Amino acid sequence: MITRKRMRLGNRDLPFQLVLIAFGILTFFPLALVVITSFKSNTQFYHNFWLPELPLHLGNYSSAFRIIWRYIVNSVIYSGSTICLIAVIASVAGYVFARFRFPFKSVIFLGFITLIMVPGVLTLAPRFVLVRDLGMVNTPYALISVWVSGGLVLSTWLMRSYFESLPQELFDAAYVDGAAEWQVFIYVSVPLARPMIATVAMTTLIATWNDLIWPLVTITDKDKMPLALGVMQFSSDFETDWGTLFAGYVISSIPLLCVFAVAMRQFISGLTSGSIKA
Amino acid sequence: MIRRFASSPAGNFNVRQSQSPLTLRVWRAKWLYLALLVPVAMLLIFEWLPAFSALYNSLYIWNGGKVHIYVGLEHYERMLTDRTLHVAIRNLIGFVFFRVIMQTVLPFFAAEMIINLRSARWSYWWKIIFVFPMVVPQILNYLIWRFIYNKQVGLLNEGLELIGLEEYTHAWIGDPNTVMWALAFVRFPWLPTLQFLIILGGLQTIPQEVHESAAIDGAGFWRRLFYIDIPMTRRQITLAMILTMLFMTQRFDLFLVMTDGGPGYSSMVPALQLYHSAFKFLEFGYASAIGVVLFVAMLALTIINLRVSAGGAND
Repeated sequence: MITRKRMRLGNRDLPFQLVLIAFGILTFFPLALVVITSFKSNTQFYHNFWLPELPLHLGNYSSAFRIIWRYIVNSVIYSGSTICLIAVIASVAGYVFARFRFPFKSVIFLGFITLIMVPGVLTLAPRFVLVRDLGMVNTPYALISVWVSGGLVLSTWLMRSYFESLPQELFDAAYVDGAAEWQVFIYVSVPLARPMIATVAMTTLIATWNDLIWPLVTITDKDKMPLALGVMQFSSDFETDWGTLFAGYVISSIPLLCVFAVAMRQFISGLTSGSIKA
Repeated sequence: MIRRFASSPAGNFNVRQSQSPLTLRVWRAKWLYLALLVPVAMLLIFEWLPAFSALYNSLYIWNGGKVHIYVGLEHYERMLTDRTLHVAIRNLIGFVFFRVIMQTVLPFFAAEMIINLRSARWSYWWKIIFVFPMVVPQILNYLIWRFIYNKQVGLLNEGLELIGLEEYTHAWIGDPNTVMWALAFVRFPWLPTLQFLIILGGLQTIPQEVHESAAIDGAGFWRRLFYIDIPMTRRQITLAMILTMLFMTQRFDLFLVMTDGGPGYSSMVPALQLYHSAFKFLEFGYASAIGVVLFVAMLALTIINLRVSAGGAND
């Protein structure tokens, strides 16, 4: 009886499952082909386009790694420092906006959120001139400063609304116990805001990791390129060496893959909660 | 003493203090201003200054350096006769239109399928499977699709040959007639993660009882789709559409990486032309003017979109 019921349920799902599987195959097929090709030599690739073929050319990976690793390290440094700075600055600013009343508060806050409507494409050219005149071209500062300020807009807003949602009793209790304001912030508020900080970190990571245009105009030195730009450079250097090219593609997907594996839930919830409120 | 929002005793304190002179209140809040100093300074320098610089310099001929000549609205007049820009705008409108539909319908469809699964375990896994492509760096999507469209050894042409349709093989992004279509299909059918999760979230908030009572009343899958699921996720659908629209209007990395606007100007879009004007031809003034127009257009589109969806909700 139970088995029959289960079967019936399974059949009801079947048409949906089939559609989803078709979707999944179409989505992952190009990726699979890239992985397969990354183990081939060029002769194997031209000779047999679709199927994996022995021997596997692991040398593709070592020659790709020799170039890609630097870009990955660069990106980890750039995105990492951006995330840390945004987490600290946005927490403090969000806390101040959420918990205090002071003159010009709404004007200052307006100065933050209005920027949501200002597209990056409007500011691209003048911002480049500014950064160039500040002597930051070809330095990490060009990327980090602009990424931090760009990310602060939404992050501060998110942090503010999160701190506002915390119950007042919590703070009262801490004040009664004689905590100073900075203690309340560090020992009570920040630990409670950890989910929102993680969300901010995740959105910042995705945005900076994938940013191509800003590094393209500010970083010309190959050694200093972040991953997105480095991969583009790599793809033009290895244009027809398909195996090595695709091995490099696979390697450059690994860092976010690790983050995804560790923080999958945060990844998904971070993306949704960050946007729904926007 | 810093004043805090407070429910009880300090509340009175707040009122009394707000009657004290402004300078005094500003002085009392000095630590708060200090805490906001870094973000405010950063936004002023790296966001507000460039934004106003764009407005201001759109009235000048400017090479980004010493050449700086006032020309008034000449750049805006030039846009009226700039043939390349007209092609770019036409391309963008078609592209955005297509992408907005594609990037709303596909995620909705997939989310609907996932919601309909009886097996909770499977619907959980499908969610993860469709979010997974997010780990691939954006640039790789474009590079992989450049490979898919490659004339000699592209996946698409090889596939056509495999099933015996050699005569349809094509230089997909090398032909002005097909390039915009090819670009519009880039990433098909990958679900745009953000839009997918937004719509999925919307569908998940529809109460189970609504679906159950619909089922009792004999509503099949399609009736339920059109009379319950689509109307009830209207807000999420609108948000997904606005996001797609804004992304597509200002992001040009796809075009830059895949075709750089070519062949000729057949896949040019305004944002890419802005980039070319500034960084190829050193016409920072003209680039700024294009930026201003794009900004105004995006603002207007967002407002219209919000108005329309708000108006629709009142029906």
